[in-house]
Amino acid sequence: MMDQSKKNKITSDLLKPIGITKTFHIWMGFLTLSLAVCLYAYMFQLDKGLVVTGLRDYVSWGMYISNFVFFVATSLIGMLISAVLGLSGVKWASPLARIAEIIALAFAAVAGLVIVSDMGHPERLLNVFMYGRLQSPIVWDVTVVTVYVLISALLLYIPLIPDFKICHEKLVDIPKPLRNIYKLLSLNWKGTEDQEKLLKKSVWILSILIIPVALAIHTVTSWLFASTSRVGWDSTIFGPYFVTGAFVSGTAAVIIAMFFYRNSYKLQDYITELHFDKMGKLLVLVSLVYLYFNLNEFMVPGYKMKKFDATHLHALFAGRYAIMFWLVQIVGLILPILFLLFGKMRKPLPMTVIAVAVLLGAWFKRYIIVVPTMEHPYLPIQNVPMNFKFYTPTLIETFVSLAPFILVLMIITILSKVVPIIPIQETIEHHEESK
Amino acid sequence: MLKSNIKLTILFLLAIFSFSKINAQAWDVPADKKAKNSYIKFDENTAKEGEAIYTKNCVSCHGNPGKANNLKTLNPIPPDLGAAKTQALTDGELFYILNTGRGAMPSFKNTLSEEERWKTISYIRSFNKQYVQVVSKTDPTKSKLVKIKLDVDSLTNKIKVAVIANEIKGVVLLKDAEINMFVSRYFGKLQIGKTLRTDSVGCVLFDFPKNLPGDSIGNLEIVINVNDEIYGEIESINKVKIGVPTNKPSLTEKRAIWNVLKLAPWWIIITYTSILLGVGFILLLIIKNLFKIRKLGED
Ligand code: HEC
Repeated sequence: MMDQSKKNKITSDLLKPIGITKTFHIWMGFLTLSLAVCLYAYMFQLDKGLVVTGLRDYVSWGMYISNFVFFVATSLIGMLISAVLGLSGVKWASPLARIAEIIALAFAAVAGLVIVSDMGHPERLLNVFMYGRLQSPIVWDVTVVTVYVLISALLLYIPLIPDFKICHEKLVDIPKPLRNIYKLLSLNWKGTEDQEKLLKKSVWILSILIIPVALAIHTVTSWLFASTSRVGWDSTIFGPYFVTGAFVSGTAAVIIAMFFYRNSYKLQDYITELHFDKMGKLLVLVSLVYLYFNLNEFMVPGYKMKKFDATHLHALFAGRYAIMFWLVQIVGLILPILFLLFGKMRKPLPMTVIAVAVLLGAWFKRYIIVVPTMEHPYLPIQNVPMNFKFYTPTLIETFVSLAPFILVLMIITILSKVVPIIPIQETIEHHEESK
Repeated sequence: MLKSNIKLTILFLLAIFSFSKINAQAWDVPADKKAKNSYIKFDENTAKEGEAIYTKNCVSCHGNPGKANNLKTLNPIPPDLGAAKTQALTDGELFYILNTGRGAMPSFKNTLSEEERWKTISYIRSFNKQYVQVVSKTDPTKSKLVKIKLDVDSLTNKIKVAVIANEIKGVVLLKDAEINMFVSRYFGKLQIGKTLRTDSVGCVLFDFPKNLPGDSIGNLEIVINVNDEIYGEIESINKVKIGVPTNKPSLTEKRAIWNVLKLAPWWIIITYTSILLGVGFILLLIIKNLFKIRKLGED
C-alpha cells in the first residue's frame, strides 16, 4: 500500500492548476480581445456576405473549408490515444488520455462552427436539417461530427467522475456553488466495487465505439471531396489518406499541449521525458504511414500525368503552389520524421518546435488539398474576371479563420482550470500497482 | 522568284485581314433584319425608361455611353455604345444584336420584352444628335387579331401553316410574313427547316422530320413564330401528334442517389438509420450506467 503522504502529494500536485490565477486572467484577456477582433471581421461578412472573402464562383471552397478539415483532423487524436492505446493496454499513454480527449472535444466542437463561417447566410444551416438528403455526404458529416462530439464528451467526463469527487473534497477554498457542481458531477462516487465496475465497463464500451465513429468522421470528411469528380479529389484512398493525416496533426497538437501544460502547471513529475520520447516515436510512426499515403496520392497520378491531372500537378510541383507544397512535404513531414529518429530530438523543447512545424504543415496541407483543385475545373466557366480563376484569401477571411483557433485555446485553457488534466485517481492506482 | 513573292504578299495581306477581323468582327445582319424599325416612337420618356433597363442589364459590361468605363477585361472588349461605330448601325442591326448576342454579349431575346429592347435602343440613340428615327408601320395592338392555323398531313409529314387576321372589315390573309417553326426540346427550341415567307394566300408548307421523339403517345409541342410588318411578332404553341411515341421513364422516377430524400435508395436509408439507432442505443446504455453509478452511491 502506498503511504498517505505520497497520495496527498499527487493529489495536491494535480489539483494545483485548478483555480484562477493572474496569468490566467492575462491570457484569457488576450484571447478575448483577439476573439473580439475576429468577430469584428466576421460582422463584415455577416453584413455583406461571402463577397468580402476571396471566394468566387470558381473557388467556392477556400480557407474556411480547409480550416474545417484541419479541425476535424486534429480532433481524431482522442480516439488514437484514449481508445486505441488504452484498449491495447499501453500504460504510458494513460496520463495523456485526458489531454488528448480535451483536444478532441475542443477541436471537434469548434469544427462545426468553422463550417458555419463558410456560409454567407449562417441561419441557412437549418436547411441541412430541414431539407438535407440522406444521400449526401454533407448530411453524413453533420451526423457523424455530432455523434463524435457526444462520445468525446462522455469519454472525457466518465473517467473524471472519481476526480470530481476528489475535487469536491479537496478544493475547500473555492466558492460553494462551484463545489456543489463538482459534487453533482461526481455522481455520489464512493469508489465501491460495483461503481468501479460500471465505470470501467462504460469507458470500455465507449472506447470501442469511438474507433469506428472517429474513422467515420474523417472518412466522411474525405468523401465530401472524393465523391465529386475533380482532379486531385477523385481518389479511392482519400479516406485512409485523411485518417492517417489526422493522426499526424493530432499527435503534434497533443505534444504542444503537453509542453505548455507541463511547464505552466509544473507537471514535470507526471508528464515526463519518457512521455515525450514515446509521443515522439508515435509521431514518427504516424508520419511514416502518412508519408506512404502521400507517395501513393501523388506518385500514381504523377506517373500517368493525364491531361487534367497534369495541370493540377504542375501547379503543385512547379507552379503557383510549389513553394507551399514542398515546404509542407519537406518541413512538415520528411524532416520531422528524420529528426525525431534521434533520441536527442525527442526531448520536450526540440520536439515541441518540431510539432509546431508539423502542425503548421498539416494546416497548409489541407489548404493544398482543397484550393488548387477548385482552381482546376474540368469545365471552366467562360469569360470570368481574373479574380475568379485564382483564389487569394482576404484579410477578413484570415481573421475569421483565426477565430476557431482562439476558441479552441479558450476551451482548452478553461477546461484545464476546472478539471485535473492528469487523472488523479488513475495516477494513484498506477503508483500502487507499480509498487 | 516573283511567284513566291506574290504568294508571300498574299499571305501577308491575308494575315493582316484575318487579324483585323478578330479585332473588330462585323455583325452579319441579314438584310431584312437590318431594315427592321421600331414601332415605338423614340422620345425623352422612352429614353428614360430605356436608361433604367440599360443600368440594370448593360452597364456592367458596356459602361455608361461616352464615359469609357466599359469592362476592359473581357475579350472582345464590349464597345462604348455611344461611340460613332455603334451609332452607325441601323436600329434593325442593334435590335438583331440584342436578340442574338455573340460570345460574351448575351442574348436578351428571352429576358427583355420587345418593347423593353426598343426602349433600350431609344436610350442608346439619345447619345446621337444626328439620329433621325424611321418608325415602323407595325401596330402591336393588332397582333391579337392574328390567328395561326396548323394543318398536318400525316401521310407526307408536311405541316401547312396559315396566318390570318380577323379585322373588323373582314378576314385578311397575311402575305409575305416571316414564319419560323420550332419544336420544344429539353433545353430549348429546335428549329424545323428554314425561315419561310407566306405566299399570296398567307400559307407556308414545312417538311416535318419523321423521327422526332415525342411523348408517350407521340405528341410534340410545335411553336410557330410569325413576324409581320404590320401585325408584329406573334407566337403560338400547338400540341401536335406527329412525333415518334417514346416512353422513357424520367431519371427521377425511381429511387436513386441523385433523387430527393423521399426517393433515396433503400440501402442508404437502412444503413444510415440502423447505424444511428445502434449508436443511440449504446449511448442510452451509457447514460443508464451513469444513473446506476449515482444510485449505488446513495446513502
Ligand atoms: C456580359 C457582358 C455584356 C453585357 C451584359 C451586355 N453586353 Fe453588349 N456586348 C458585349 C460584348 C463582349 C460585345 C462585343 C461582342 C462581339 O463583338 O463579338 C458586345 C456588343 C454589343 C453591341 C455591338 C456594338 C458594336 O459596336 O459592335 C451592342 C449594340 C450591345 N452589345 C448592346 C448591349 C445592350 C443594349 C446590353 C444590355 C441590354 C448589352 N449589350 C449587354 C458584352 C455585353
